[in-house]
Amino acid sequence: MDGVRSADGLTGDRAIAADPETPPGASETLRSVHAAQRHLLRSIPNVRAATGGGLPLERQQRDMELPHVIDAAGAEDATLRARVVPGAPVAAIRAFLDGTQRSEVAGWCGALPLVYGSAGAVVRERIHRRLTTWERPLVQHRIYAPLAYAPRAELEAALGAMLEDTTKPSADGTIVPPHPTLLLERATLAVSRNRELLEIALAERWCASRAEPIMIDGGIGASEAVAQSACAVGVVKSHRTLYAEGDGLNTVLALRRGERSSVIRIAPRGRSEVLSWYLRLRDTEGRDVLWGLVRVEMRATAPANVTERADEISRWVLAESSPLAAPDPRWDRMAYGIRSAEEFLRATNN
Amino acid sequence: MTAPLGLVVATERTPNTPHQFQFWTAIDSPVGIGTIVRVDGRVPVDGHIPQVYGVVTEGFSYTDLASPLFDVLGHDGDPGQSAFAPTERAEVRLYSAAVLRHVPEEPLQPVPMGEVFLATETDVAIALRMDSYLREDANTGIPIGLYRSGGMDSAIYLDAEFLVGPEAAHLNITGVSGLATKTSAVEWLLASLFAHFPASKGSVAAVCFNVKGPDLCFLDLPAELEAEDRAMYDTLGVPCEPFRNVRYFAPFKADNVSLNTLRSNEELLANVQPLTWGLREVLQFAEVLLNRDDVDAKADALIDFIKERVLDRDFEDRVLKQQHRVRSFADLEGWFRDLLSGLEDRGDEHWRTHHVATIRKVRNRLTNISTRCAGLVTNDGHTSDLPWGDFADRAVYVVDVALAEEDAQDLIFARIVSKLREHLERRDLGVTHVVVFVDELNKYAPADGPETYVRKMLLDIAERGRYLGLVLFSAQQFRSQVHRRVVGNAGTALYGRMDGDELATPGYAVLSAATRTKLATLSKGQLMVRHPHFTQPIFVSFPRPAVMRGRDGVERYPQAADVPIDVGVLRQLRRFDPSLTLAWVQDVIGLYEDEDVLHALHATLAHAPDNAGAYFKAQFRKIVGASPAPAPARTPLRALPDDDPYAI
Repeated sequence: MDGVRSADGLTGDRAIAADPETPPGASETLRSVHAAQRHLLRSIPNVRAATGGGLPLERQQRDMELPHVIDAAGAEDATLRARVVPGAPVAAIRAFLDGTQRSEVAGWCGALPLVYGSAGAVVRERIHRRLTTWERPLVQHRIYAPLAYAPRAELEAALGAMLEDTTKPSADGTIVPPHPTLLLERATLAVSRNRELLEIALAERWCASRAEPIMIDGGIGASEAVAQSACAVGVVKSHRTLYAEGDGLNTVLALRRGERSSVIRIAPRGRSEVLSWYLRLRDTEGRDVLWGLVRVEMRATAPANVTERADEISRWVLAESSPLAAPDPRWDRMAYGIRSAEEFLRATNN
Repeated sequence: MTAPLGLVVATERTPNTPHQFQFWTAIDSPVGIGTIVRVDGRVPVDGHIPQVYGVVTEGFSYTDLASPLFDVLGHDGDPGQSAFAPTERAEVRLYSAAVLRHVPEEPLQPVPMGEVFLATETDVAIALRMDSYLREDANTGIPIGLYRSGGMDSAIYLDAEFLVGPEAAHLNITGVSGLATKTSAVEWLLASLFAHFPASKGSVAAVCFNVKGPDLCFLDLPAELEAEDRAMYDTLGVPCEPFRNVRYFAPFKADNVSLNTLRSNEELLANVQPLTWGLREVLQFAEVLLNRDDVDAKADALIDFIKERVLDRDFEDRVLKQQHRVRSFADLEGWFRDLLSGLEDRGDEHWRTHHVATIRKVRNRLTNISTRCAGLVTNDGHTSDLPWGDFADRAVYVVDVALAEEDAQDLIFARIVSKLREHLERRDLGVTHVVVFVDELNKYAPADGPETYVRKMLLDIAERGRYLGLVLFSAQQFRSQVHRRVVGNAGTALYGRMDGDELATPGYAVLSAATRTKLATLSKGQLMVRHPHFTQPIFVSFPRPAVMRGRDGVERYPQAADVPIDVGVLRQLRRFDPSLTLAWVQDVIGLYEDEDVLHALHATLAHAPDNAGAYFKAQFRKIVGASPAPAPARTPLRALPDDDPYAI
């Protein structure tokens, strides 16, 4: 895993992965954006440092995916309906997995942005009601550069494997034009992709070594191994894509606290098939219809067990509605353990 | 190598300084207010990894909650649901620590980021600079108690050079009444001082003024101690036993035969001695008892004249009808009476420049002293006093003034301290250092109020005593109400549990809020110590004194009831000769007035002869026993002649 290091938050340098392509000390020089800037200025001629104030690229306005709805096949009922989750919430989730990323322009090589990207993922394990870090979190720092236009030789010499090209040719051989905004978006997407890879790596490791349930922030279909694991529970908080149409959509949006929708079968492009359902964690009185609404994912299972398993996992997820993940603005949908993972990465990953 | 306890943290808003730093710990770490820690820096400075020692002065705890409202929402407003939350919130334990010492001392830099460790015993010694006076070749450490943290006990030592001089001296204790902290601490510290006072510094004795209750009345009797206390004595190297050499001094009651002390039980009288002074002793300190507004310069002049020219001299004057030798208050009263009578007879208003009104005033004030200090001041001039010139090393001399009148207390204190000072100046007291313990400093050296002789004396000890070896151990409930120069000159200060109002006074503003809170909740046997070597106050535990508590003593040895003079005399004489009986005393004193009996008793006590019975008996004037007068021989009337013609 080149350029990736483990971070335990206490001794940051002891777990840096060895990388034969990385010049000695390079990984350490990328620990922060300022360190990366110093390294770039020393190593690459004609690079000027960015002085934009450090606003992460993720927060800058981008053309985002438009919200949309998709109809999905039912795996429990022929049509979507609301089901009351039976029984009391059960705190069975053993661990929580989440990742974070941060991209920032470190410098400019002419009009070409050199983006400093940092991604990390961590599993927070719950032991005696307290959350601690499971094994070592994964942290990755890289420079994302448009090598089709930038001085490739100097950058590769300076950064080795810690350099990532944002202008790789597509399948038809075309290369993105050197539009600065487009290059920034490509860099951000690359960081996001790397963050997801880190999350997958940790999730697969957990599923391979542990049998207890783990709550994963987001879907579980990105990895076949995770998507087929009995212990993986994905919780999706964002709803730019709603897997229901017509009456089904109304049913989902009208769910009351402690109710779930029927289980559906989803298989987004490039992802493994999983079972999923919507679950309302909190009352929506006075709030918008998406308040407290999450979509839960689990592995595809035999139809006879779907209801029982969905109810069981719903009870687990409902149990995680306390304590509140405040002050995170998504606290109505976010489990406290997921927030803990984000806070850990924020604290240890600059 | 032990695992770190915490990590130093600093932010722009709360940066570390050379004298303060912050660190966080695990929630279950054994850190609290007063804990001593060591910081190991990460980056060498001048080739040395800096180590910083600090004491925790403040603690903070908080969670990731931005507002309490989120917690309410999270539990649906029901506190009972908190037990069902599957996860406990992230919580931080953050501590502020005040720096005790940097190693190396220079360059003095802000506390570096680094790992924080619980101080070991060696660390504690370095942090408190005890390493400078606990050297094998020059150990001047006096154990004050145990510093306890994380299951480790470390002995804390005061430096004798800074406790009894000459570098600094004096000790002051503050604490609320009723928790036995102040008296217990002094009793413990005296035992420790006696056990560890270095021979190279000479000898030491203690004079303790018992100003209330039976607190100091049983220092020679053992206490029943818990095993934990005994273990502390072992750890600190102090014998767990009462004081071996204790002598008590107390004035008489107004009857001049019963001792005015709670230690008057006959079983304990062997080392209890009356404290009685005659005219000469009192006149030296007359100003203690005389109201300065009342006694003017003219009266002062006459008193000086009496001291210089009349006292203990054969005095003749043309006004006087006879020669006087004034040795006692009774003699003085006779002298005044003769003088005033002579002046009246002559019609003079002046005598040797002194106006008759002044003479009358001085007569009134002086002769009144024996009434105001009855029991202490004898009319007959006999004295029974502390063993001036014969003080013993490691001896305790308790002067019990708890039941004495206020005037008598002042007089006793002033004279004894003055005598101590005189003898120490002349180096003929018998010991080279004397610790004087005075409780209730609020009363004797108040911050406000008129200047009194006693307060002046206390100030004098506090400011100059250390050069003489005269050391003041003082105690009070409210330090803020004691004269600043008295407490300010105390090199060492101890604090027991404190009153909240007292802690709110400006003198405690240097302490953190947490330290003040800890002071307000200290339990028995705990003290906060300030000492010149310690750059920050340290909390210690000390064992219960190995001497019987006052209230246990008075229960086991009740105070003797007032008795007739014959029984009182017998009690006093039995100190010298236990074989004496009540019948013998009654036989000896049966024919004499009480005044004669007391004169004989005081003379015996003052001289403490080997054969007390015989000496006592010899004091009485020979009185010939009454016997019926022989009947005069009856001379019969001459018989009339039988032939008397005039006989009827």
